[in-house]
Amino acid sequence: MALSKIDVANMVTGATPVANGGTGQTTLAAAGLVKRPNATSLIINGDMAVAQRSTSATSITGNGVNSIDRMYWAINSIGTYTCAQESLTSGPAFEAGFANAMRIDTTSADASPASADYLYLQYNMEGQDLQLFKKGTSSAEKFTLAFWVKSNKTGQANVEFKDKDNSNRHAIGSYTISSADTWEHKIVVINADTTGAFGDDNGKSLNINWWLDSGDNFTGVAEGDAAWLANDADRANNDGALQIARNTANDWAITGIQLEVGEYSASNLPSFQHESYGDNLVRCHRYFLYTGGGSAYQHHGSGVEVSSTAAYMTTPLSCPFRASPSITANNTSGGIVIYDGNTESAVTSVGTTNYSTNTSIVNVAVNASGGGIDDGNGITVYSNANSNAGFLFDAEL
Amino acid sequence: MIQTVKKLNDPVRNNFEGYEITTIEGTKISVPLDEANKDYQAILEWVADGNTIAEAD
Repeated sequence: MALSKIDVANMVTGATPVANGGTGQTTLAAAGLVKRPNATSLIINGDMAVAQRSTSATSITGNGVNSIDRMYWAINSIGTYTCAQESLTSGPAFEAGFANAMRIDTTSADASPASADYLYLQYNMEGQDLQLFKKGTSSAEKFTLAFWVKSNKTGQANVEFKDKDNSNRHAIGSYTISSADTWEHKIVVINADTTGAFGDDNGKSLNINWWLDSGDNFTGVAEGDAAWLANDADRANNDGALQIARNTANDWAITGIQLEVGEYSASNLPSFQHESYGDNLVRCHRYFLYTGGGSAYQHHGSGVEVSSTAAYMTTPLSCPFRASPSITANNTSGGIVIYDGNTESAVTSVGTTNYSTNTSIVNVAVNASGGGIDDGNGITVYSNANSNAGFLFDAEL
Repeated sequence: MIQTVKKLNDPVRNNFEGYEITTIEGTKISVPLDEANKDYQAILEWVADGNTIAEAD
Protein backbone atom coordinates (compact mmCIF):
# COMPACT_ATOMS: atom_id res chain seq x y z
CA MET A 1 0.00 0.00 0.00
CA ALA A 2 1.46 3.36 -0.94
CA LEU A 3 1.95 5.92 1.77
CA SER A 4 0.61 9.36 1.08
CA LYS A 5 3.12 11.13 3.26
CA ILE A 6 6.09 10.47 5.46
CA ASP A 7 7.10 13.18 7.87
CA VAL A 8 10.79 13.66 7.06
CA ALA A 9 11.21 16.05 9.95
CA ASN A 10 10.52 13.24 12.39
CA MET A 11 13.12 11.04 10.71
CA VAL A 12 15.73 13.75 11.13
CA THR A 13 14.94 14.20 14.82
CA GLY A 14 14.94 10.47 15.49
CA ALA A 15 11.26 10.22 16.33
CA THR A 16 9.32 7.42 14.68
CA PRO A 17 7.80 8.63 11.37
CA VAL A 18 4.08 8.14 11.04
CA ALA A 19 2.34 7.41 7.76
CA ASN A 20 -0.28 9.74 6.33
CA GLY A 21 1.04 12.68 8.25
CA GLY A 22 -0.20 11.43 11.60
CA THR A 23 0.97 13.21 14.67
CA GLY A 24 0.00 10.67 17.34
CA GLN A 25 2.31 8.01 18.73
CA THR A 26 5.83 8.80 17.62
CA THR A 27 7.93 6.96 20.21
CA LEU A 28 8.07 3.40 21.53
CA ALA A 29 7.05 4.58 24.99
CA ALA A 30 4.10 6.53 23.67
CA ALA A 31 2.99 3.44 21.79
CA GLY A 32 3.16 1.41 24.99
CA LEU A 33 6.11 -0.60 23.73
CA VAL A 34 9.34 -1.54 25.48
CA LYS A 35 12.69 -1.68 23.75
CA ARG A 36 14.32 -5.02 24.43
CA PRO A 37 17.96 -4.54 25.35
CA ASN A 38 19.25 -7.90 24.16
CA ALA A 39 18.59 -9.88 21.01
CA THR A 40 18.05 -13.37 22.42
CA SER A 41 16.84 -14.66 25.76
CA LEU A 42 19.78 -14.85 28.16
CA ILE A 43 18.29 -17.80 30.05
CA ILE A 44 18.42 -21.01 28.03
CA ASN A 45 15.41 -23.34 28.33
CA GLY A 46 13.61 -20.90 30.61
CA ASP A 47 10.31 -22.35 29.40
CA MET A 48 11.40 -25.82 30.63
CA ALA A 49 10.60 -27.43 27.26
CA VAL A 50 13.81 -29.49 26.85
CA ALA A 51 14.49 -32.48 29.11
CA GLN A 52 17.12 -34.67 27.42
CA ARG A 53 18.10 -36.68 30.50
CA SER A 54 14.64 -37.55 31.81
CA THR A 55 11.19 -36.03 32.16
CA SER A 56 11.03 -37.36 35.70
CA ALA A 57 13.99 -38.16 37.96
CA THR A 58 13.06 -39.96 41.16
CA SER A 59 14.85 -40.66 44.46
CA ILE A 60 17.10 -37.61 44.04
CA THR A 61 19.30 -36.89 47.08
CA GLY A 62 22.31 -35.08 45.62
CA ASN A 63 23.58 -32.36 43.29
CA GLY A 64 23.17 -32.35 39.54
CA VAL A 65 21.12 -31.64 36.45
CA ASN A 66 18.79 -34.63 36.52
CA SER A 67 15.78 -33.83 34.37
CA ILE A 68 15.22 -30.46 32.64
CA ASP A 69 18.22 -29.12 30.73
CA ARG A 70 20.31 -26.35 32.36
CA MET A 71 18.43 -26.64 35.66
CA TYR A 72 20.85 -27.78 38.39
CA TRP A 73 19.56 -29.01 41.75
CA ALA A 74 21.79 -28.32 44.74
CA ILE A 75 20.76 -30.85 47.38
CA ASN A 76 22.90 -31.59 50.41
CA SER A 77 21.68 -34.16 52.98
CA ILE A 78 18.21 -32.67 53.13
CA GLY A 79 15.66 -35.25 52.04
CA THR A 80 14.68 -37.07 48.86
CA TYR A 81 12.93 -35.63 45.84
CA THR A 82 11.30 -36.19 42.49
CA CYS A 83 12.40 -33.58 39.95
CA ALA A 84 10.12 -33.60 36.93
CA GLN A 85 8.90 -31.75 33.87
CA GLU A 86 5.29 -30.83 34.64
CA SER A 87 2.88 -30.36 31.74
CA LEU A 88 0.65 -27.33 32.16
CA THR A 89 -2.87 -27.31 30.76
CA SER A 90 -4.49 -24.48 32.68
CA GLY A 91 -3.79 -21.61 35.03
CA PRO A 92 -2.06 -18.24 34.69
CA ALA A 93 1.34 -19.59 33.58
CA PHE A 94 -0.31 -21.72 30.89
CA GLU A 95 -2.37 -18.74 29.80
CA ALA A 96 0.88 -16.78 29.52
CA GLY A 97 2.13 -19.32 26.98
CA PHE A 98 4.00 -21.89 29.06
CA ALA A 99 3.21 -25.57 28.48
CA ASN A 100 5.90 -26.95 30.80
CA ALA A 101 7.39 -26.30 34.23
CA MET A 102 10.20 -27.64 36.42
CA ARG A 103 8.67 -29.19 39.55
CA ILE A 104 10.23 -30.65 42.68
CA ASP A 105 8.26 -32.83 45.07
CA THR A 106 9.50 -33.85 48.50
CA THR A 107 9.24 -37.63 48.75
CA SER A 108 11.24 -38.14 51.95
CA ALA A 109 11.22 -35.20 54.33
CA ASP A 110 13.92 -33.75 56.56
CA ALA A 111 11.96 -32.13 59.38
CA SER A 112 15.05 -30.64 61.00
CA PRO A 113 17.94 -30.01 58.56
CA ALA A 114 21.47 -29.96 59.98
CA SER A 115 23.37 -26.65 59.86
CA ALA A 116 25.16 -27.26 56.56
CA ASP A 117 22.19 -28.75 54.68
CA TYR A 118 20.66 -26.94 51.72
CA LEU A 119 18.12 -27.22 48.92
CA TYR A 120 17.99 -24.82 45.97
CA LEU A 121 17.58 -24.64 42.21
CA GLN A 122 20.62 -23.21 40.44
CA TYR A 123 21.06 -21.71 36.95
CA ASN A 124 24.67 -21.23 35.82
CA MET A 125 25.88 -18.72 33.23
CA GLU A 126 29.06 -18.24 31.23
CA GLY A 127 30.93 -14.98 31.74
CA GLN A 128 31.04 -14.22 28.03
CA ASP A 129 27.22 -14.17 28.01
CA LEU A 130 27.11 -11.62 30.84
CA GLN A 131 29.32 -8.86 29.49
CA LEU A 132 26.27 -6.70 28.64
CA PHE A 133 25.69 -6.17 32.37
CA LYS A 134 29.05 -4.29 32.48
CA LYS A 135 29.59 -5.55 36.01
CA GLY A 136 32.64 -4.12 37.70
CA THR A 137 32.47 -0.84 35.77
CA SER A 138 31.06 2.59 36.61
CA SER A 139 28.27 1.99 34.10
CA ALA A 140 27.18 -1.38 35.50
CA GLU A 141 23.55 -2.39 34.85
CA LYS A 142 20.91 -3.78 37.17
CA PHE A 143 19.61 -7.35 36.73
CA THR A 144 15.89 -8.04 36.43
CA LEU A 145 14.88 -11.67 36.97
CA ALA A 146 11.30 -12.67 36.22
CA PHE A 147 9.64 -16.07 36.54
CA TRP A 148 6.40 -17.91 37.22
CA VAL A 149 6.28 -19.89 40.48
CA LYS A 150 3.82 -22.15 42.29
CA SER A 151 4.00 -23.99 45.61
CA ASN A 152 1.76 -25.40 48.28
CA LYS A 153 3.77 -23.20 50.67
CA THR A 154 3.31 -19.44 50.94
CA GLY A 155 5.62 -16.73 52.24
CA GLN A 156 8.94 -15.09 51.40
CA ALA A 157 11.66 -16.90 49.49
CA ASN A 158 15.13 -15.76 48.45
CA VAL A 159 16.97 -15.66 45.14
CA GLU A 160 20.73 -15.35 45.36
CA PHE A 161 22.99 -13.99 42.61
CA LYS A 162 26.53 -15.27 43.19
CA ASP A 163 29.57 -13.96 41.30
CA LYS A 164 31.91 -16.93 40.79
CA ASP A 165 34.69 -14.76 39.38
CA ASN A 166 35.06 -12.52 42.42
CA SER A 167 35.26 -14.60 45.60
CA ASN A 168 31.57 -15.56 45.53
CA ARG A 169 30.48 -11.97 46.01
CA HIS A 170 26.67 -12.11 46.13
CA ALA A 171 23.36 -10.24 46.23
CA ILE A 172 20.11 -11.52 47.65
CA GLY A 173 16.67 -10.68 46.29
CA SER A 174 13.35 -11.97 47.50
CA TYR A 175 9.81 -12.68 46.37
CA THR A 176 6.63 -13.69 48.17
CA ILE A 177 4.24 -16.48 47.27
CA SER A 178 0.83 -15.13 48.22
CA SER A 179 -1.54 -17.97 47.37
CA ALA A 180 -0.93 -21.71 47.71
CA ASP A 181 -1.03 -23.90 44.62
CA THR A 182 -1.46 -20.92 42.31
CA TRP A 183 0.86 -19.80 39.54
CA GLU A 184 2.17 -16.29 40.31
CA HIS A 185 4.48 -14.09 38.25
CA LYS A 186 7.42 -12.65 40.20
CA ILE A 187 9.98 -9.99 39.37
CA VAL A 188 13.20 -9.62 41.34
CA VAL A 189 15.57 -6.71 40.71
CA ILE A 190 19.22 -7.02 41.73
CA ASN A 191 21.39 -3.91 42.06
CA ALA A 192 24.11 -2.98 39.60
CA ASP A 193 27.58 -3.85 40.85
CA THR A 194 30.53 -1.58 40.11
CA THR A 195 32.90 -4.02 41.79
CA GLY A 196 34.27 -7.18 40.19
CA ALA A 197 33.99 -7.88 36.46
CA PHE A 198 32.71 -11.14 35.00
CA GLY A 199 35.39 -12.98 33.03
CA ASP A 200 34.86 -12.75 29.28
CA ASP A 201 35.22 -16.49 28.74
CA ASN A 202 33.41 -19.85 28.83
CA GLY A 203 33.82 -20.31 32.57
CA LYS A 204 31.12 -20.23 35.23
CA SER A 205 30.66 -16.59 36.24
CA LEU A 206 27.18 -16.35 37.75
CA ASN A 207 24.94 -18.64 39.80
CA ILE A 208 21.29 -17.76 40.22
CA ASN A 209 20.04 -19.72 43.23
CA TRP A 210 16.35 -20.11 44.18
CA TRP A 211 16.60 -21.13 47.86
CA LEU A 212 13.94 -23.59 49.01
CA ASP A 213 15.29 -24.74 52.38
CA SER A 214 18.47 -24.81 54.44
CA GLY A 215 20.08 -25.32 57.83
CA ASP A 216 21.31 -22.63 60.18
CA ASN A 217 24.55 -21.98 58.26
CA PHE A 218 22.56 -20.05 55.66
CA THR A 219 20.47 -17.84 57.92
CA GLY A 220 21.36 -15.20 60.46
CA VAL A 221 22.63 -12.11 58.64
CA ALA A 222 20.48 -9.45 56.95
CA GLU A 223 20.36 -9.89 53.18
CA GLY A 224 21.30 -6.40 52.05
CA ASP A 225 18.19 -5.77 49.94
CA ALA A 226 19.57 -6.89 46.59
CA ALA A 227 22.90 -5.12 47.17
CA TRP A 228 26.15 -6.84 46.22
CA LEU A 229 28.27 -7.72 49.25
CA ALA A 230 31.20 -9.94 50.12
CA ASN A 231 30.18 -13.57 50.39
CA ASP A 232 28.58 -14.59 53.67
CA ALA A 233 26.71 -17.90 53.63
CA ASP A 234 24.63 -16.73 56.61
CA ARG A 235 22.99 -14.21 54.32
CA ALA A 236 21.94 -16.55 51.49
CA ASN A 237 18.63 -17.80 52.84
CA ASN A 238 17.97 -15.44 55.74
CA ASP A 239 14.20 -15.01 56.11
CA GLY A 240 13.62 -17.55 53.36
CA ALA A 241 10.75 -19.47 54.87
CA LEU A 242 9.42 -21.89 52.29
CA GLN A 243 11.02 -24.92 54.03
CA ILE A 244 10.14 -27.26 51.17
CA ALA A 245 12.20 -30.12 52.69
CA ARG A 246 10.24 -30.34 55.91
CA ASN A 247 7.17 -32.30 54.75
CA THR A 248 6.30 -34.76 51.98
CA ALA A 249 3.25 -32.66 51.19
CA ASN A 250 5.53 -29.91 49.86
CA ASP A 251 6.27 -29.03 46.27
CA TRP A 252 7.59 -26.07 44.28
CA ALA A 253 7.50 -25.38 40.55
CA ILE A 254 8.91 -22.74 38.22
CA THR A 255 8.74 -21.75 34.56
CA GLY A 256 9.13 -18.75 32.29
CA ILE A 257 12.49 -17.68 33.68
CA GLN A 258 13.84 -14.56 32.00
CA LEU A 259 16.77 -12.30 32.79
CA GLU A 260 16.86 -8.73 31.50
CA VAL A 261 19.50 -6.02 31.51
CA GLY A 262 18.35 -3.03 33.56
CA GLU A 263 15.46 -2.48 35.93
CA TYR A 264 11.92 -3.44 35.00
CA SER A 265 8.60 -3.76 36.81
CA ALA A 266 5.35 -5.52 36.01
CA SER A 267 4.26 -2.50 33.97
CA ASN A 268 7.18 -2.45 31.56
CA LEU A 269 8.84 -5.89 31.66
CA PRO A 270 9.63 -7.06 28.10
CA SER A 271 7.60 -10.09 27.13
CA PHE A 272 9.19 -13.55 27.45
CA GLN A 273 11.07 -14.45 24.28
CA HIS A 274 9.60 -17.80 23.28
CA GLU A 275 11.86 -19.87 21.04
CA SER A 276 11.02 -22.77 18.78
CA TYR A 277 11.70 -26.15 20.40
CA GLY A 278 14.46 -26.71 17.84
CA ASP A 279 16.28 -23.47 18.61
CA ASN A 280 15.96 -24.16 22.34
CA LEU A 281 17.30 -27.71 21.95
CA VAL A 282 20.33 -26.55 19.95
CA ARG A 283 21.22 -24.00 22.64
CA CYS A 284 20.93 -26.76 25.27
CA HIS A 285 23.32 -28.91 23.20
CA ARG A 286 26.12 -26.48 24.02
CA TYR A 287 26.02 -27.97 27.52
CA PHE A 288 24.63 -31.48 27.11
CA LEU A 289 23.89 -33.93 24.33
CA TYR A 290 22.27 -37.36 24.66
CA THR A 291 22.50 -39.44 21.50
CA GLY A 292 20.00 -42.06 22.68
CA GLY A 293 16.35 -42.00 23.58
CA GLY A 294 15.19 -42.39 20.00
CA SER A 295 14.74 -45.52 17.95
CA ALA A 296 15.92 -48.96 19.08
CA TYR A 297 18.67 -48.92 16.41
CA GLN A 298 19.65 -45.27 16.61
CA HIS A 299 23.12 -44.43 15.28
CA HIS A 300 25.52 -42.47 17.47
CA GLY A 301 28.49 -41.93 15.19
CA SER A 302 30.79 -43.48 12.61
CA GLY A 303 34.53 -43.89 12.25
CA VAL A 304 37.28 -46.43 11.91
CA GLU A 305 38.67 -49.40 13.83
CA VAL A 306 42.07 -48.71 15.33
CA SER A 307 42.68 -52.13 16.94
CA SER A 308 40.84 -55.38 17.56
CA THR A 309 39.28 -53.85 20.68
CA ALA A 310 38.91 -50.13 19.95
CA ALA A 311 37.53 -47.73 17.37
CA TYR A 312 37.39 -44.00 16.84
CA MET A 313 33.78 -42.78 16.69
CA THR A 314 33.08 -39.35 15.26
CA THR A 315 29.81 -37.65 16.18
CA PRO A 316 28.58 -34.46 14.46
CA LEU A 317 27.21 -31.69 16.67
CA SER A 318 24.33 -29.26 16.17
CA CYS A 319 26.11 -26.73 18.41
CA PRO A 320 29.74 -26.50 19.53
CA PHE A 321 30.23 -27.64 23.11
CA ARG A 322 31.05 -25.04 25.75
CA ALA A 323 34.15 -27.08 26.64
CA SER A 324 35.51 -30.52 25.89
CA PRO A 325 32.79 -32.86 27.22
CA SER A 326 32.82 -35.73 29.67
CA ILE A 327 31.27 -38.84 28.16
CA THR A 328 29.29 -41.71 29.65
CA ALA A 329 27.94 -44.68 27.73
CA ASN A 330 24.40 -45.40 28.86
CA ASN A 331 23.59 -49.11 28.97
CA THR A 332 26.78 -50.66 27.67
CA SER A 333 25.73 -54.25 28.41
CA GLY A 334 25.21 -55.05 24.78
CA GLY A 335 23.05 -51.98 24.35
CA ILE A 336 25.50 -50.23 22.01
CA VAL A 337 27.50 -52.02 19.32
CA ILE A 338 30.36 -51.29 16.92
CA TYR A 339 29.53 -52.68 13.46
CA ASP A 340 32.21 -53.03 10.79
CA GLY A 341 30.08 -54.51 8.03
CA ASN A 342 30.63 -58.04 9.23
CA THR A 343 30.45 -58.22 13.01
CA GLU A 344 28.64 -56.47 15.83
CA SER A 345 30.82 -56.03 18.95
CA ALA A 346 29.35 -54.68 22.16
CA VAL A 347 30.78 -51.40 23.42
CA THR A 348 32.15 -51.94 26.92
CA SER A 349 33.60 -48.54 27.78
CA VAL A 350 34.51 -45.07 26.53
CA GLY A 351 38.14 -44.06 26.09
CA THR A 352 39.70 -40.72 25.37
CA THR A 353 37.99 -37.74 23.73
CA ASN A 354 39.32 -35.37 21.10
CA TYR A 355 37.44 -32.08 20.85
CA SER A 356 38.55 -28.59 19.85
CA THR A 357 36.68 -25.56 21.16
CA ASN A 358 34.11 -23.99 18.83
CA THR A 359 34.10 -26.90 16.40
CA SER A 360 31.09 -29.00 15.45
CA ILE A 361 32.54 -32.48 15.58
CA VAL A 362 33.80 -34.67 18.42
CA ASN A 363 35.89 -37.83 18.26
CA VAL A 364 35.62 -40.52 20.92
CA ALA A 365 37.53 -43.75 21.45
CA VAL A 366 35.07 -46.58 22.11
CA ASN A 367 36.18 -49.96 23.40
CA ALA A 368 34.93 -53.49 22.78
CA SER A 369 36.90 -55.67 25.16
CA GLY A 370 35.89 -58.96 23.55
CA GLY A 371 37.66 -58.15 20.31
CA GLY A 372 36.03 -59.24 17.07
CA ILE A 373 36.58 -56.07 15.07
CA ASP A 374 39.25 -55.90 12.44
CA ASP A 375 41.83 -53.17 12.52
CA GLY A 376 41.36 -50.59 9.78
CA ASN A 377 37.75 -51.13 8.75
CA GLY A 378 35.16 -48.39 8.70
CA ILE A 379 32.55 -48.70 11.42
CA THR A 380 29.26 -47.34 12.62
CA VAL A 381 28.12 -47.31 16.24
CA TYR A 382 24.46 -47.87 17.01
CA SER A 383 21.99 -49.03 19.62
CA ASN A 384 21.29 -52.75 19.60
CA ALA A 385 17.52 -53.08 19.93
CA ASN A 386 17.59 -50.69 22.86
CA SER A 387 16.06 -47.23 22.69
CA ASN A 388 17.59 -46.30 26.05
CA ALA A 389 21.17 -46.84 24.90
CA GLY A 390 23.34 -43.89 23.92
CA PHE A 391 26.18 -41.59 24.83
CA LEU A 392 25.87 -38.70 27.26
CA PHE A 393 28.14 -35.77 26.34
CA ASP A 394 28.31 -33.39 29.31
CA ALA A 395 29.86 -29.92 28.99
CA GLU A 396 27.79 -28.29 31.74
CA LEU A 397 29.16 -25.50 33.87
CA MET B 1 30.83 -38.59 43.94
CA ILE B 2 34.25 -39.88 42.80
CA GLN B 3 35.37 -43.30 44.02
CA THR B 4 38.43 -43.86 41.82
CA VAL B 5 40.25 -42.15 38.95
CA LYS B 6 42.63 -43.68 36.42
CA LYS B 7 44.49 -42.30 33.44
CA LEU B 8 43.34 -43.03 29.88
CA ASN B 9 45.68 -43.34 26.92
CA ASP B 10 44.69 -42.71 23.32
CA PRO B 11 44.43 -46.11 21.57
CA VAL B 12 46.55 -45.04 18.57
CA ARG B 13 49.18 -42.65 19.95
CA ASN B 14 49.23 -44.38 23.35
CA ASN B 15 49.64 -40.97 24.95
CA PHE B 16 48.00 -39.97 28.23
CA GLU B 17 45.01 -37.93 27.04
CA GLY B 18 42.27 -38.24 29.65
CA TYR B 19 40.92 -39.73 32.85
CA GLU B 20 38.24 -42.24 33.73
CA ILE B 21 36.18 -41.54 36.83
CA THR B 22 34.34 -44.38 38.55
CA THR B 23 31.62 -42.98 40.79
CA ILE B 24 30.42 -44.56 44.02
CA GLU B 25 27.37 -45.72 42.06
CA GLY B 26 29.69 -47.52 39.63
CA THR B 27 29.18 -45.19 36.66
CA LYS B 28 32.27 -44.72 34.47
CA ILE B 29 32.86 -41.26 33.00
CA SER B 30 35.52 -40.38 30.43
CA VAL B 31 36.97 -36.97 31.30
CA PRO B 32 39.09 -34.85 28.93
CA LEU B 33 42.15 -32.84 29.91
CA ASP B 34 40.29 -29.54 29.83
CA GLU B 35 40.40 -27.12 32.76
CA ALA B 36 36.96 -25.81 31.75
CA ASN B 37 35.41 -29.27 32.20
CA LYS B 38 33.60 -29.57 35.56
CA ASP B 39 34.62 -33.22 36.03
CA TYR B 40 38.26 -32.34 35.39
CA GLN B 41 37.91 -29.63 38.05
CA ALA B 42 36.40 -32.25 40.40
CA ILE B 43 39.40 -34.53 39.83
CA LEU B 44 41.77 -31.70 40.77
CA GLU B 45 39.83 -31.18 44.02
CA TRP B 46 39.78 -34.94 44.65
CA VAL B 47 43.56 -35.09 44.29
CA ALA B 48 43.98 -32.00 46.50
CA ASP B 49 42.06 -33.92 49.16
CA GLY B 50 44.87 -36.49 49.18
CA ASN B 51 43.60 -39.09 46.71
CA THR B 52 45.76 -40.76 44.07
CA ILE B 53 45.14 -41.29 40.36
CA ALA B 54 45.84 -44.80 39.04
CA GLU B 55 47.98 -45.36 35.95
CA ALA B 56 46.38 -46.39 32.65
CA ASP B 57 45.71 -50.07 31.97
